[in-house]
Amino acid sequence: MLTVVLQQGINGIVVGSLYVLVALGLTLIYGVLVQINFAHADIVTVGAFVAYFVTHWLSGNYFAGIAAALAVGAVFGWLMNAAIFAPLRDRGNELLPLIATIGVSIMLQNAMLVLLGPIPYAFNTPYSNEVIRLGGTFLTVQNALIIIVSTITIVLLYAFMKFTFLGKALRAVSQDRETAGLMGINPNYVIMLTFVIASALAGMGGAMLGPVLVLTPFAGTSVIVKAFAIVIIGGFGNVEGTIIAGLIVGLIESYTTQFLDPGWIDIVVFALLLLTLAVRPTGLVAERREENV
Amino acid sequence: MSIVTSRRFWLVVAAIVIGLLPAIFTDSYWRTNLIVCAINVLLAIGLDFVLGYAGQLNLGQSAFYGIGAYASTLLITQVGVPFWVAFVAGVLLAGVAGVFLSVFAVRLRGHYLAIASLGFAVITYQVLLNWISLTQGPLGIYGIAPPPPFAIPGLPPIEFSNLASLFYLTAGFAFLVYLLLDQLVRSPVGETLTAIREDEVSAASLGVNGQKWKVFAFAVSSAVAGAGGCFYASFVGTLVPDAFFITESFSILAMVIVGGMGTLIGPVLGAILLTVLPELLRGIGDLRLIVYGVSVTLVVLFMPGGLVQAARLVAARVRRPAKVGRDP
Repeated sequence: MLTVVLQQGINGIVVGSLYVLVALGLTLIYGVLVQINFAHADIVTVGAFVAYFVTHWLSGNYFAGIAAALAVGAVFGWLMNAAIFAPLRDRGNELLPLIATIGVSIMLQNAMLVLLGPIPYAFNTPYSNEVIRLGGTFLTVQNALIIIVSTITIVLLYAFMKFTFLGKALRAVSQDRETAGLMGINPNYVIMLTFVIASALAGMGGAMLGPVLVLTPFAGTSVIVKAFAIVIIGGFGNVEGTIIAGLIVGLIESYTTQFLDPGWIDIVVFALLLLTLAVRPTGLVAERREENV
Repeated sequence: MSIVTSRRFWLVVAAIVIGLLPAIFTDSYWRTNLIVCAINVLLAIGLDFVLGYAGQLNLGQSAFYGIGAYASTLLITQVGVPFWVAFVAGVLLAGVAGVFLSVFAVRLRGHYLAIASLGFAVITYQVLLNWISLTQGPLGIYGIAPPPPFAIPGLPPIEFSNLASLFYLTAGFAFLVYLLLDQLVRSPVGETLTAIREDEVSAASLGVNGQKWKVFAFAVSSAVAGAGGCFYASFVGTLVPDAFFITESFSILAMVIVGGMGTLIGPVLGAILLTVLPELLRGIGDLRLIVYGVSVTLVVLFMPGGLVQAARLVAARVRRPAKVGRDP
């Protein structure tokens, strides 16, 4: 029994750390722009497919696949900002960009469906079948890689936000765009940079989710609804909250699968979301505005 | 006011068009599409009431649509209730679900509401999928009967087993709902909702109870979606949860946006266009949803008022030379 609990705990952390990567991008964008990018999940799917094809072409070089997904994600982020968010920024209607990105999301999903078909792709990396045993529990090297890469990425992102000039500029813009502009920070550049970073994270998240998920053009949809839930449970724009909520949702997912039924995952996660909204709309981690990225 | 610009004139024209459509389209393929159009019109004007007038982005319409469909069908097949009783119950239940969601909605704004309502749609879909003892889950419910014949004393009963009369039923109902919503948005109620959409704090300072009116808008909107669900079930004859996945919410949203939110005629046009256009473009695989996606994005970027705004621009272009006097 204890091994089952431990094993599912490990699985939950693996999935949770991937959700954190995806949700962090959403939270970063919300922080600087107070906008939601609905197509974020489809960048995750694009990243997964890019990694799949690159890994296969290069006969199993998974790290090249991750790097390619990161780069393609960054390009998509730049495009999303240039085509959708920058032109709509001065319209003053907070719902229009959200609706436009829903359109982009429908478009991307169905374009991938036409190109790649609905049959799931089997994305096996050279690390999918190597197993590390720890007592009664086990962990594939792929999953260990997921935890390590996510942790390094999150730490790097945190250091970037805390200690570099650009990171400080990003936080300044998210606190007060106009004042940051008066201090000589170009908010348009910072916003563009945020989209590039957030989408690169999404692409990379996709590269690592690909081998774990059922890889179809709609893979992103199942991830995005959870990423939204995570971002709200953690408090929109709150990085620490997002990390904690992402791990909680990952654990909920694995324990629900073990002890209830996989069909209950979304119900439990969204019940937690609605409960959070009803009781603490600012998120689980108390809102400290100066710490909000 | 000339006769061409009067509202009553256009309503009569619309009623005549609805009456003539099944006579023009006699094959069952297009009659089926006409019914789909009528149901989509119903769903679109329902969403527009809460989105375009009250300014609340509700992504949960697929849930209310599904609740109406499943509730009415289960009442008919499991309890044996007559169709119209089940219809009223389905509509009421969807409305009550809307009130439940609005309990969260009144406290949330903009993005939070969009995601909370999306969450509601996800939960409803999962419940439909996993409560197998009630909904038969992914296997679905089959052989749902069409509405029973409608008997008016002294006239032969109207059978709803043929597509033309089923179209008259759904389109007639959609027309009635349109009239009702049209009266509502032109009354002080419409002005109150618009005031809440534009500036809730200012509206509150003038004594408007924003929360109460938002609950009202949600209830109306979700009840209309529930009615659409009841008609959908009796028309298609089969219910599977996948018909009420969250993408259905996005499709309804696309109709409202492409037509022009904040007007009632816009969503009607948007629903008809986005139902008919993909049928005309058939044979290119999964083009339907790509068309939805592209049109939503382009409309938001370049013509946020949708088809209605485009029509107004064209009308202004046409009218201008007449004022100069070039037209006889």
